[in-house]
Amino acid sequence: MTTGGPSADVRARRPSTLAEGWRAYRNERGGVFGLAVLVLVVLLALSAPLLTDPAGLDVTRVEDAPLQPPGAGHWLGTDESGRSVLLLTWWGARVSLLVGSCAAALSMVIGTLVGVTAAHFGGWTDTVLLRLTDFFLVLPALVLAIALSTVLSRGVFTIVLAIGVTSWPQTARLVRAQTLTVQTRPYVERARALGGGHRHVLGRHVLPAVLPLVFATTTLTVASAIIAESTLSFLGLGDPSRTSWGAMLKSAMDTGAVTAGAWWYLLPPGLGIAVVVLAFTLCGRALETVLNPRLRGEGR
Amino acid sequence: MTSVLRLCDVSVDYATPAGPRRVVDRVNLGLDPGGTLGLAGESGCGKTTLALAVLRLLPRTARVRGRVLLNEQDVSQLTWGGLRAVRWAGASVVFQGAMHALNPVRTVFDQIAEPVRVHSVERPAVSALRERVRELLERVELPPERARAYPHELSGGQRQRVMIAMALACEPSLVIADEPTTALDVVVQAQVMDVLRRAVRERGAALLMISHDLSVLAGTCHRLAVMYRGAVVEQGETARLVTAPEHRHTRELAAAFPTVGDAGSRHVDGSAGSEGRGNALLSARGVGVTFVDRSRTRTRAVRNVDLEVCADETVALVGQSGSGKTTLARTLLGLCRPDTGRVRYRGVEPGSSSGSLREFRRQVQLVAQDPTGALNPRHTVYEAVAEGLRIHRDVVGEAERVRAALEAAELRPAADFVGRFPHELSGGQRQRVVIAGALVLEPAVLVADEPVASLDATVRGEILELLLGLRRRRGLSVLVITHDLGLAWSIADRVAVMRAGELVEQGPVERVLTEPEHEYTRALLAAVPSLPRVVD
Repeated sequence: MTTGGPSADVRARRPSTLAEGWRAYRNERGGVFGLAVLVLVVLLALSAPLLTDPAGLDVTRVEDAPLQPPGAGHWLGTDESGRSVLLLTWWGARVSLLVGSCAAALSMVIGTLVGVTAAHFGGWTDTVLLRLTDFFLVLPALVLAIALSTVLSRGVFTIVLAIGVTSWPQTARLVRAQTLTVQTRPYVERARALGGGHRHVLGRHVLPAVLPLVFATTTLTVASAIIAESTLSFLGLGDPSRTSWGAMLKSAMDTGAVTAGAWWYLLPPGLGIAVVVLAFTLCGRALETVLNPRLRGEGR
Repeated sequence: MTSVLRLCDVSVDYATPAGPRRVVDRVNLGLDPGGTLGLAGESGCGKTTLALAVLRLLPRTARVRGRVLLNEQDVSQLTWGGLRAVRWAGASVVFQGAMHALNPVRTVFDQIAEPVRVHSVERPAVSALRERVRELLERVELPPERARAYPHELSGGQRQRVMIAMALACEPSLVIADEPTTALDVVVQAQVMDVLRRAVRERGAALLMISHDLSVLAGTCHRLAVMYRGAVVEQGETARLVTAPEHRHTRELAAAFPTVGDAGSRHVDGSAGSEGRGNALLSARGVGVTFVDRSRTRTRAVRNVDLEVCADETVALVGQSGSGKTTLARTLLGLCRPDTGRVRYRGVEPGSSSGSLREFRRQVQLVAQDPTGALNPRHTVYEAVAEGLRIHRDVVGEAERVRAALEAAELRPAADFVGRFPHELSGGQRQRVVIAGALVLEPAVLVADEPVASLDATVRGEILELLLGLRRRRGLSVLVITHDLGLAWSIADRVAVMRAGELVEQGPVERVLTEPEHEYTRALLAAVPSLPRVVD
């Protein structure tokens, strides 16, 4: 481009719309709380290798007594092999968050692709893709995920895949509906009359209008993906070499920690799941409210 | 003599974060029983706010000062119960846009009977209600069977009649009609106005009618008041006001709606003779378009149409809504594929391959009906105008060309506009941006679909002036699609009249609009509300 004038001006304007969005977001108290919790959890999860020694997770290298109640040595007690529950929970957050966000991202990509394609091209494409979406929608997601993780090799990637391919239909439906609405706008017709092809219409007009909504849904999907991950791990379908919150709950069940009254082994991962899921849900709802003006201002 | 409505020094302020904003400024108006008063003004001049203030229907942020006397009662002093009794039984409203003012999930009967029910002391018998609704429907000339219909089963004109029947349900002494015919085309507008006029006169109710169109008001009201920026700038007898307007703004309003047949409102020199010019730029031959809906019913939206747009001429395509004008325009633009016939540009058919279609679209550009919708709210003016160039990968000197296009569309200085977003512009400026977006590709033909229908009276004139200027300076051919014969009269060389998908008549404007051959053209002309010519 020959001049920096107009585009520089645009660059200056974009942050101001972002700032406006942030102001609206700040009015959502739940959203701010959720965001604060998430930032804290993510920072802790990322800094785990810096602040703690992963050697403590190795069963062969711990010497403490199993199933100790919380005390001075171990703030949250120890598990059946004498590892610190605090350390396990800390490291477990990494897997739970990783699987949750990757699965949500995967489901977002599939859902957006299917939804936009179906709505934009219409006709047969729409019919076929919609039937496919309906098929995945009515399929019991957990059963499919179990089947998938049994067939494929065990590991984090398998879990991500299993959750991702079962949770996209809602996103696809939503994106399709939104695309249909956006496409009836006169500016899309104008773009076509200017000579714009599918790529132009989708890239410049449809996707930018659909994406904010997709982000809000994805945030909500992360929450359900974390629950799905915990469920699958709890059922013993996770990666056995890595600690996750679901896997912790499973071993607590398996080793009789529950009957032994070792509440300190069950509560931290359980609360971890509840808090992170709640935080994601709060953020997602707040984002939805900010991005959807129809929800904004109601109930005040 | 007691008056039905008297406004004494009425002002309305809206509380905004930036302090109170005055919307209505010390208005004094009076209306006698059975009288008719027209309130004219542009959008945003406060006329609707004033009307809603009569029934205290304004939002909480509004603060009303002065006295509103309805049947000699001060509305602001009424108790909640007293206010409810006055609403609808004392004064009723025919709202703008019947599509949204009617409840889509209730039948016409339920909705007309609702005010009767609410205002009856004891529960009225269903048979009595049925009789009443039947009588009301007859008064607005709707068949009584329509009482069982839902709003979506009715046409726009029928819905507006249902609104009128609702307004008359409690025999109010005042009916307030807020732009009752805005979304309707000329023929339906004439019918609805006729019904409203008669229904109000028969019952001896007073009518306060609000419109931006002076000619519609002039046909109905005995007195007119013109509002401008919240204040009434002129009021008086209709005949006096339209023939000898005193205020500048009244003159502007009157001039914005040209009278067909009046040489003063014709802005082109049609004597050049545009028939048989031969070198057609854009032509349609035997074009037919058929839609198939969900229930597999075939609708022939356009049938066997022959139409040409030659170099350096303005063609107007007129017809009622639903006559297939827009479908024909989309077909000419290649946005819609004809089932039969051919569209040619300079004798060549735009191919179906994306490359040749793209080249064709460079030459034939669209100016859409609603400039607010036609601009992506996320794109700046610069991006909106440059969009065409970017699509055609023709970005050499982009910034220069965008600036030139903006200035050609009379957005000067262009630098002030490039960084703005559509919501920061007025309606007229947005339409100019859309026009600039088309001009930047240097097309040969512009297809303008109702280019001024959504704009205010005074802005209309400016946009039309712009289109005329573009033709003069660049020799740009324009196909204007409109339901407004006055518009066709003021800017077009040739006019084509469309009815139910077919062209019934076409020829030079002077001939077709002054000596129409087809009865449909005559019917259209008869329905146009006309203003006794303003003497300057």
